[in-house]
Amino acid sequence: MREADERYFERLESQLDEAFDVAERAKERGADPKPEVEIPTARDMADRVENILGIDGVAERVRELEGEMSREEAALELAEDFAEGRVGDYESKAGKVEGAVRTAVALLTEGVVAAPIEGIDKVEILENDDGTEFVNVYYAGPIRSAGGTAQALSVLVADYTRALVGIEQFSARDEEIERYAEEIALYDKETGLQYTPKDKETKFIAKHMPIMLDGEATGDEEVSGFRDLERVDTNSARGGMCLVMAEGIALKAPKIQRYTRNLDEIDWPWLQDLIDGTYYDDAADEGDGEDDADEDEAADESEGEDPADGDDADEPQGPPRVEESTKFLRDLIAGRPVFSHPCAEGGFRLRYGRARNHGFATAGVHPAAMHLVDDFLATGTQIKTERPGKAAGVVPVDSIEGPTVKLANGDVRRIDDPEDALEIRNGVEKILDLGEYLVNYGEFVENNHPLAPASYTYEWWVQDLAAAGADVQALEDDPRIDLEFPEPEEALEWAVEYDAPLHPEYTYLWHDISVDAFCDLAAAVAEGRIEQDGDGSVNGNGDDSILVLAYADVVADALETIVIEHRQRPDADRIEIDDWRPFVRTVGCEPRRAVADGAALDLDADRDGGEEEPSIELERTWSADDLSERARNWGREDEPDGANAIEAVNEVAPFQVRERAPTRIGNRMGRPEKSESRDLSPPVHTLFPIGEAGGAQRNVADAAKHAETMSDTPGVVELQVGRQRCPDCATETFKNRCPDCDARTEPDYRCPDCDESLEPDDAGRVECDRCEREGTCVENREVDVNDEFRSALESVGERENAFDILKGVKGLTSSNKIPEPIEKGILRAKHDVSAFKDGTVRYDMTDLPVTSVRASELDVDVGQLQALGYEEDIHGEPLTHEDQLVELKVQDIVLSDGAAEHMLQTADFIDDLLEQYYGLEPFYEFEDRQELVGELVFGMAPHTSAATVGRVIGFTSAAVGYAHPYFHAAKRRNCDGDEDCVMLLLDGLLNFSKSFLPDQRGGKMDAPLVMSSRIDPSEIDDEAHNMDVVSQYPREFYLATREQADPEEVDVQIAEENLGTDLEYTGFEHTHDTTDIAMGPDLSAYKTLGSMMDKMDAQLELSRKLEAVDETDVAERVIEYHFLPDLIGNLRAFSRQETRCLDCGEKFRRMPLTGDCRECGGRVNLTVHKGSVNKYMQTAIKVADEYDCRDYTKQRLEVLERSLESIFENDKNKQSGIEDFM
Amino acid sequence: MPLEASARIVSELTSRGYNAEREAVTKLASAENPQAALERVVEDLPEDALVVRTDHVDSTLLRGNSTGPNADAASDSPADPAVSTGDATTDPPATGGDVPVETKGGGGADRSVDPALRSLEIAGDMTGQSTGTGEYEDFVAVFRDRLERLGSKLRGRVNHRPASAIQNMPGGSDVAMVGLVNDIRSTASGHWLIELEDATGTFPWLVMKDREYVDLVDELLCDEVLAMEGTLADDSGIAFVDSMYFPDIPRTHEPSTADRHVQAALISDVHVGSDEFMAEAWNRFADWLHTEQAQHVEYLLLAGDMVEGVGVYPDQDEELEIVDIYEQYEAFSEHLKKIPGDIEIVMIPGNHDAVRLAEPQPGFDEELREIMSAHDPQIVSNPSTVTLEGVSVLMYHGVSLDEVIAELPEEKASYDDPHKAMYQLLKKRHVAPQFGGHTRLAPEERDYLVMEEVPDIFHTGHVHKLGFGKYHNVLAINSGCWQAQTDFQKSVNIDPDAGYAPIVDLDTLDVTVQKFS
Repeated sequence: MREADERYFERLESQLDEAFDVAERAKERGADPKPEVEIPTARDMADRVENILGIDGVAERVRELEGEMSREEAALELAEDFAEGRVGDYESKAGKVEGAVRTAVALLTEGVVAAPIEGIDKVEILENDDGTEFVNVYYAGPIRSAGGTAQALSVLVADYTRALVGIEQFSARDEEIERYAEEIALYDKETGLQYTPKDKETKFIAKHMPIMLDGEATGDEEVSGFRDLERVDTNSARGGMCLVMAEGIALKAPKIQRYTRNLDEIDWPWLQDLIDGTYYDDAADEGDGEDDADEDEAADESEGEDPADGDDADEPQGPPRVEESTKFLRDLIAGRPVFSHPCAEGGFRLRYGRARNHGFATAGVHPAAMHLVDDFLATGTQIKTERPGKAAGVVPVDSIEGPTVKLANGDVRRIDDPEDALEIRNGVEKILDLGEYLVNYGEFVENNHPLAPASYTYEWWVQDLAAAGADVQALEDDPRIDLEFPEPEEALEWAVEYDAPLHPEYTYLWHDISVDAFCDLAAAVAEGRIEQDGDGSVNGNGDDSILVLAYADVVADALETIVIEHRQRPDADRIEIDDWRPFVRTVGCEPRRAVADGAALDLDADRDGGEEEPSIELERTWSADDLSERARNWGREDEPDGANAIEAVNEVAPFQVRERAPTRIGNRMGRPEKSESRDLSPPVHTLFPIGEAGGAQRNVADAAKHAETMSDTPGVVELQVGRQRCPDCATETFKNRCPDCDARTEPDYRCPDCDESLEPDDAGRVECDRCEREGTCVENREVDVNDEFRSALESVGERENAFDILKGVKGLTSSNKIPEPIEKGILRAKHDVSAFKDGTVRYDMTDLPVTSVRASELDVDVGQLQALGYEEDIHGEPLTHEDQLVELKVQDIVLSDGAAEHMLQTADFIDDLLEQYYGLEPFYEFEDRQELVGELVFGMAPHTSAATVGRVIGFTSAAVGYAHPYFHAAKRRNCDGDEDCVMLLLDGLLNFSKSFLPDQRGGKMDAPLVMSSRIDPSEIDDEAHNMDVVSQYPREFYLATREQADPEEVDVQIAEENLGTDLEYTGFEHTHDTTDIAMGPDLSAYKTLGSMMDKMDAQLELSRKLEAVDETDVAERVIEYHFLPDLIGNLRAFSRQETRCLDCGEKFRRMPLTGDCRECGGRVNLTVHKGSVNKYMQTAIKVADEYDCRDYTKQRLEVLERSLESIFENDKNKQSGIEDFM
Repeated sequence: MPLEASARIVSELTSRGYNAEREAVTKLASAENPQAALERVVEDLPEDALVVRTDHVDSTLLRGNSTGPNADAASDSPADPAVSTGDATTDPPATGGDVPVETKGGGGADRSVDPALRSLEIAGDMTGQSTGTGEYEDFVAVFRDRLERLGSKLRGRVNHRPASAIQNMPGGSDVAMVGLVNDIRSTASGHWLIELEDATGTFPWLVMKDREYVDLVDELLCDEVLAMEGTLADDSGIAFVDSMYFPDIPRTHEPSTADRHVQAALISDVHVGSDEFMAEAWNRFADWLHTEQAQHVEYLLLAGDMVEGVGVYPDQDEELEIVDIYEQYEAFSEHLKKIPGDIEIVMIPGNHDAVRLAEPQPGFDEELREIMSAHDPQIVSNPSTVTLEGVSVLMYHGVSLDEVIAELPEEKASYDDPHKAMYQLLKKRHVAPQFGGHTRLAPEERDYLVMEEVPDIFHTGHVHKLGFGKYHNVLAINSGCWQAQTDFQKSVNIDPDAGYAPIVDLDTLDVTVQKFS
């Protein structure tokens, strides 16, 4: 680690310590469930693992093993320790296995996710039919968050430990084997699996599995055969088990095999058969049975053709192309538009590179394009994409080419400025091309996707130019030359002089027109005239000339297809092109100065006279017959049809022309971006129970006045709370401090049968030895809410009018049901923040990565950055100016405006809490948001149990949370539209308590059971290691994309290479800059449009405008995947619905025969009404009609409409039209 | 139960791909061990035989058992020669059951029929009578109607009290109640708690695990109507069940029969439009109807799923031969035209048809009727009762069978014996008792799904399996289908009985099965 990095972390940790001290002092004074901070700090993974598991000694052992072996091997090593009792204090064999399995999962998930505690319910020892014992591991749904490898390894570790402690193997009964197969198929149908083993495969695994895999029921759907098995508790699918078996064992067999080979104690010979697929009876038929795993992978994954295979002898008939994939269009829903159909012309063009706010499952889109798609795309909007991954978060990048549109006035313009986009947006008739779409190399590595042919872009061209022998350095240094955006004359000159391919700026999309269209276009150009347009502008041709073609639809179409800027004036029979020289030369025409009479140069006066000859004539240097057969037929590789004119262009042009955009990437909108506070539903201010007394609003003030009957004391409510006892004066209370003597109280556990007082054992379990029942401290108790509320107000010195409403909870869901002090809620209500289930205040944001930032875009000044330790910009220059780029430190984060606002409110709440409740000095004392800069927060992702400490560095108007990719990876997130939360540091330290967490499956997820104070790049989700960190991709890379090479085969440096070195926290270079990390719309139109109908109208309207989208298909899919399922589902739900009492909320499976509520006598009504069933009916019919959907779809709607009529209309009392009365 | 035995034999033979002459079946049925006899006969059959004839049975049985049951069989055998048609009376046994392919085009066969002898009445058709508007009250009304009408069949049998009155009775009293099953739960100690509901409220009834009635608990479905008798617990909070009563078919039920020898073909699930529709088999069936052998078939009942439909399951269009729903019905109509014009056709819709899915399903609308008008079929709602010359046939498509089969233990209802699932419905006197599960309900002013009158024949389809038998003298028939195994069926291992036509003698309620696939 570099010294600078060490300083950075020390600084964070000392800041953390400072807050910790304050929190500790506060906690000692308050009446929180625990008198100390409940989030332990973990400096490394070993700490986290130990803290999450709560098994002493694990951390030490993990550290010992870490340097010596891989994590997987360490897990096995630890299994031995558990078996022999060196680690953990387990007496039973089941306990040892359980400890080993949990530790293995924790270790393999870096101690971040909740899988080891929530995903493994228990391990038990059961008996085989022959009387021997076997191990049963009981998985639960949250094992999902562990991922396939850890799931698979958990089975191996269980088996290994089993062998070590001397338990026999499991031998499954036949019906159990069958059950596994049925269940996995059922689970796949219900929930879906990434990989679904075939029945035979499942049975094969089940038959050989040396331990039993079992688990909790996760779905409602039940298996139809193999029910009520003796050793399987449930007839529903056991989700955790299904995941482990399918995505763990079946999918990761080769990985497990690597470890079984080295273990003598256990033997999984069947893995080889599983990998080879030789569990089939007819395995011999499988042609590639003997292929080994690596080869399979390559073969399976390659979506495109494999040009490497092609023998040179038979030359390809067409260019390399990726294959269309329509997967991303599945489940299209109303209101979320398609931007491009798969590989469609006019869609996003793949450009390789990584912008500074890019990488890690994101897609760079030009901000002008974001505006032009009617603002549906904003920074952070998730898109479902065709390749390389499944989904990506959108980031604005303006150093790529923008979209090209055709305006109502006939102009075809490329829009490279978001301001222009907004200006011309209303006049857009057609979006001919969406512009470029930036994807970094690392994405292809991460998704193991063969490289797709690259667009011809500046980065590649400049290396071509150098390869052709030009002195690029000299050209770059020449102040008169803009290498990236040269004048047409210069571009031509370089192409000819150096024999390099034509500059991409003047390379058009020739591959998208057919050879015939190209010939027609060339003919039209030869007929064209060069005019002086007289506007005095030079138009980059070195003179004031433009090319004018006679207007013809085919010519206009061709020009639109190749995406060249021009003006169509059909009324004047003209098409005008400004930068005409490279274009004319490319179509094989030579401009020749005509034998003119000299007067022709007199442009201004009487050009309109028309008698003058143009001074330049265009001569076509070739005829269609000159084209080789290969060029004439060039098309697709499998189908030579002359659909692609690029070869023809190369034969007639005097220079090489590369394919401008061979890969288009289809995508559609997924989820909108998010930046909003996380509230429980309904939101609550305090985790204090008030039962039904608070009404539907759960208003504490109402509860304080509530009386069931006239004779009841107002405010006294019977509640389920934990009984506490004062150790000093034995007073019974539900509070954490004795109301009499102020001593801290302890839970008072009793046996529910014999009422004997019980003490928890070492493991925290409370059991009555005599009755063998679990003890509890929960009791029903009359609580005077009024008194609690009033005294709390008094103790913090607030009046009831300090807040609008104070909302409590109906009941507590934690095991000991300890209520939170109402005082905290009062102060939360005062500052309008709400509590999450664990007592913290949270704010959710969509994750996005950024590796370098400018002070100017973060709304901070250089001084602030310098104060945070930023001294140099990315080039090593001293930081003096707001526009300089600095490399972001790994734990620094950028808050959205909303988050900053929310953090300020939280800080005010914390300050009041410290002053008015804990009696300490305020900590934050913020006046405005600038003071937030430098403060620490917790980042925390759903499904995980570890928070990561982050530091606020600035603010953005985009509705996202920008942070270093390593920060996101430390939370186990990538940036494909995932969202997670931030909490203010002191809020987490003061208000979080494990005692509030729900006592149910998944209750410990999404709670900061431990925090990481510093990020070790080796201990984060390794997806982040695949991010490329270079400033330029080599020319070989671009050439390799044309071969659709495996991404691993090309040499681009990725972050992984720096792991464990001094450079691991630095050197994240990018290939593309962007002006601001928050360009384009701040919010997606999806969020700003009102009703679903508005959104859908906008979606369909946009689909008409986009060249790359087939609007009929969109309409069809919206109906098919959204309207029809909704209609059918609601209709089905209607005809078998539950009913509910409007007064007490009681639900009935069937309508009570009395008609009234059986509980309270209140009114009962349907839960699914006519209105909710047919809300989309008329819209769907209208859309089907307007967008010309297939008859099949229309008829399905017709049949449904009639069904609705039949159910909801009285045959004898049909609504009649006015004509019936005429 | 000789009739049930013959039914079993026929289905056993058809499942092995044989047709059988009626006499042959009767002989087999009256053998000492019909199953063994059947095995022997099948073993001895000549390779090319498709029909089990009397002589096959005779020769086998005589060889194996010299004291063959011929005499009995003869007396038991129905008086075959029908009186209504004078000519060709003795012919059927000779050519009967022959593979009908050769007679293709022989539509001119003598089908002299006298329409005056026929009678056909429809009851319970709710087409055009759907008055429900999907309000809460409509649902309440339909369940009250159910309790009212089925309860009336039970109230005479027990000394029933309303739920609200029972809880006020002294502990230890003998009580009885009639109600809808509201809930079925097992208790921690393995007893069963059944909540009955009537118009006044609910009351819990406990079936002890060691009582004889405990087996019946397996058969219970929610929302069926039954009566319970028992003793009130000391605190009057629960009653212990001593006996349970179902509306049921009276054991004494005597079915009506036709006065003449006349037959009806009971089929269902044609699925025209599906890639798997078996046009060949259908044509053979239609051709056969033109033969002499089928001359007595004067009625054709179709229990739903005329066409494959559109949008019945996701991506269905990929498995459709005819994608257009109207063209499907047009094609179906063409297939219907091949049926002799003098045969009376009655049909109800099924879950693949273009009507609402919720039951009761009204008959097709005008547009579809127009398409199918060529043969002038009677189109009525699902369910409906059609009475043919005095024999009442309750036609119901059978969606609830899936649920009965799923909920009940295998031995009481399974796809292999669909008629046993039908017995359960007969016992409950309701075609689709359970609400909220598989079956969809459209609330109407009355419960059209109640079997108020005992039918003589109960005819369903839907599960694509052939099976028939008698329950308390009611003939239950589940027709097979005309659609070969679909990919979906393959995936769940359902092997449909496709291309069979069960033919019922309306004068005896005997069933023969004709195979056309």
